[in-house]
Amino acid sequence: MKRKNLLRFLAVVLIMGLFTVNAYAAGSYQDKDIPIGSSSEVLMVGEIEPTIMSVTIPSYVPFHISRSIETENKVISPRITMISHSGVPVSVDVVYTNVNLSNLQGTTWGSDRYVSDNQIAIGFQAETLANQMPASLDQTKWLLANTYQYLNIASLNAYGSSSIYVVGTLGSAVPEDSSFTVTPTFVVSRA
Amino acid sequence: MEATVQSQSKWKKRFLPIAMACLLSAAGVFLALRTPGDDSLELADNATMGILPGIDIAQRQAELQQQLDESMISFSVNTSPVFETGGSEGNLMLENPANNAKLLVVEIYSNDTEELIYQSKALPAGSYIENARLDKVLEPGSYPATAYFKAYRETDHSYIGQVGADITISVLT
Repeated sequence: MKRKNLLRFLAVVLIMGLFTVNAYAAGSYQDKDIPIGSSSEVLMVGEIEPTIMSVTIPSYVPFHISRSIETENKVISPRITMISHSGVPVSVDVVYTNVNLSNLQGTTWGSDRYVSDNQIAIGFQAETLANQMPASLDQTKWLLANTYQYLNIASLNAYGSSSIYVVGTLGSAVPEDSSFTVTPTFVVSRA
Repeated sequence: MEATVQSQSKWKKRFLPIAMACLLSAAGVFLALRTPGDDSLELADNATMGILPGIDIAQRQAELQQQLDESMISFSVNTSPVFETGGSEGNLMLENPANNAKLLVVEIYSNDTEELIYQSKALPAGSYIENARLDKVLEPGSYPATAYFKAYRETDHSYIGQVGADITISVLT
């Protein structure tokens, strides 16, 4: 009899314990549960980084021109390499070219490869063969004298580089014993 | 006595012709060097030893390359600087990198009016200006402009050349 009562007591305690745990678990679950379709409020702060353009380009370009050069291109030019140091694709344009021919009596400026006897014409050409000056004047972008122009001479990929050369020609009556100046202004912009 | 006379005569016979020959040879060499003949060539005293400049295209190109390297300008700029107001500072972010070895002066011109709206003082190599106030107070709006980087030699401050960069200035209020 005594044992039977003890077993009944333990059964009651066990059942009550189960209910208690269930109720606690259910309560705590309701407190922490996030119903499907809703979200908690999270502040997201976005900051826009400024776009920095970082490049290396020449501020002037020295060159020599001579009729004694056998090729169609009569210019001896250095290799002009322009570099982008940032993750921004860059376009390089000539916006203005200051030309001074005052030392070359009777000489005028030409705007393409077909110069008259007393004309001189200068432009830029992209490098096609590594470390070799262009021999022909095909694909030349010609400079206009003392006037605004937007002449794209190079496009640089992000962290990329590009090389160009000065090219040009001169007529048979252009004096060879004097110098002249050609000063293009390079302007870079985001491509 | 007779022996002495014989000895002197023997000496004269042996060495006199040799001495005469040496004397004549020396005189001949001296005259040949001092007296120019009709077919002799004089060396030009204004000649420079070496290859005539301009003949060697590769050498000429190398000289031009050296000049070009001096003219190269490196710079950084914020392409879209923002100013809270027309009179406040904005993030121009102008940099003269350490490898430039030149002084840079920055001038910003409005593309619409060609008016100078900012001019920096000289930036030494390895320095930057992060924020700056424009020299002209701008109304709220967006302004296309060109920043010109003018390079000067560090030694004598002589002008080297300039390059430009397209930027857009925004003034918020």
